[in-house]
Amino acid sequence: MTEPGAERDRPVVLAADDDEDILELVAFRLERSGYTVLQARDGEEALELARAEKPDLAVLDVMMPKLDGFELTRRLRAEEATSKMPIILLTARAQDTDVDRGFESGADDYLRKPFSPQELSTRVQAILGRR
Amino acid sequence: MIGGLIIVALVFVAAALAMLVLLAIRRTVLARRDRRYADAERRVRPLAIALVEGDGGEPPTLSSADQAVLAEVLGRYSRKLTGAAHARIADYFRGTPAVRAALHDLRARRMWRRAAAAYRLGDMADPEVAPALLAALDDSRRQVRTAAARSLGRLGIVEAALPLVEALVSRRVPSGVAGQALVELGPAAVPELRRIAEHPEPQIRAAAVTLIGLVGDSRDAPLAVSALEDPSADVRRAAAETLSRIGGAAAEPPLRTALSDRLHFVRAAAAAALGALRSDAALPQLLEMARTDRFRPARAAAQAVARIAPRELAAAAKEPGAGPHLHEAADLGAM
Repeated sequence: MTEPGAERDRPVVLAADDDEDILELVAFRLERSGYTVLQARDGEEALELARAEKPDLAVLDVMMPKLDGFELTRRLRAEEATSKMPIILLTARAQDTDVDRGFESGADDYLRKPFSPQELSTRVQAILGRR
Repeated sequence: MIGGLIIVALVFVAAALAMLVLLAIRRTVLARRDRRYADAERRVRPLAIALVEGDGGEPPTLSSADQAVLAEVLGRYSRKLTGAAHARIADYFRGTPAVRAALHDLRARRMWRRAAAAYRLGDMADPEVAPALLAALDDSRRQVRTAAARSLGRLGIVEAALPLVEALVSRRVPSGVAGQALVELGPAAVPELRRIAEHPEPQIRAAAVTLIGLVGDSRDAPLAVSALEDPSADVRRAAAETLSRIGGAAAEPPLRTALSDRLHFVRAAAAAALGALRSDAALPQLLEMARTDRFRPARAAAQAVARIAPRELAAAAKEPGAGPHLHEAADLGAM
């Protein structure tokens, strides 16, 4: 695990999804693209990891047990340590109203499932590259 | 007498014990099978991920059991991925024993085997299985037809558009599944849908026009404008609904004409479309319609006015004889 606040060799990305396949595919692609990936399987675990590790970016599923992605995004935005952390929502909820809700809750980007790992990696790179 | 009862009781006890032993054996067998599957999945997952990511070269030789597990894992990934990763899954499956086995199972005697095969083929991402899936759309069992429809949509088989529309209209496949499959065909299906929009059967024409509104764009609006004059009211309604999504300024005059359609549900759809297009020119007609037409079109017209000009709506609702629909729309707008 990365020491919070310490200089990092590689940017740290938090990936949260209750679907083991998605989590594995996201982690594999992002690790291969040069990121350290922290994995969480529900919203609460993701919140704890975000508080403890202060990742550089989070890729969050919307429909997660214990705490959904919208609420998790709102809580991360409300906490000083994570308020500026870029968040990408990755979700099967593809209605325009869901996309609006995602941005309203504070997400920076929105990717629909089924997804392209290549596209996800490009978006992560684009957001972290801008900072 | 007592001896007989004891014998009967002993028989029951023996039968119960035998049943318990059988259940225990079955549970052990199933647990062992699950464990074997989990072990195999752990072995093949890194290979599956490397495959979808385009890593490594030739896949290693696997036992037939591991091949089956790999096919299942890749089938699951196929439902969750798009783009190059999805294309690599199709490349992997092309011509594999897994595809051949599923094609063979499509002709199985048992319904569940045929349905499962039709479902699996959709996840294998290989469009060459299309003829077999199209044939499965005519299967005698609904479950098989439904799985085939879902897979044709997932594979993006444009030639399946007409059979899917026919299955949708005839309800041979649940409308949600057939509709989703057609939407999944995407914009590539538009030329085919334009042809289907000329079909002699009105219900099929209406479905095609509706789908063009979901997967087409403004270039398809002239077709929907023509469909506003179709002899079938269902097609006219579908055309108005489609124009609410893809119509532009050119669609407004024909939609205003459709406000005088002899059937109320076409008038209602035209009013809703003019509201969606924010047609200022339609305001006088819509206000009149909201006051005087029958319930459904009057309500649609009032809601359209609310979208186009909330201030005019508020003023119109205060006038004498405004009627319930303008009041309702104004009250909702004020909330």
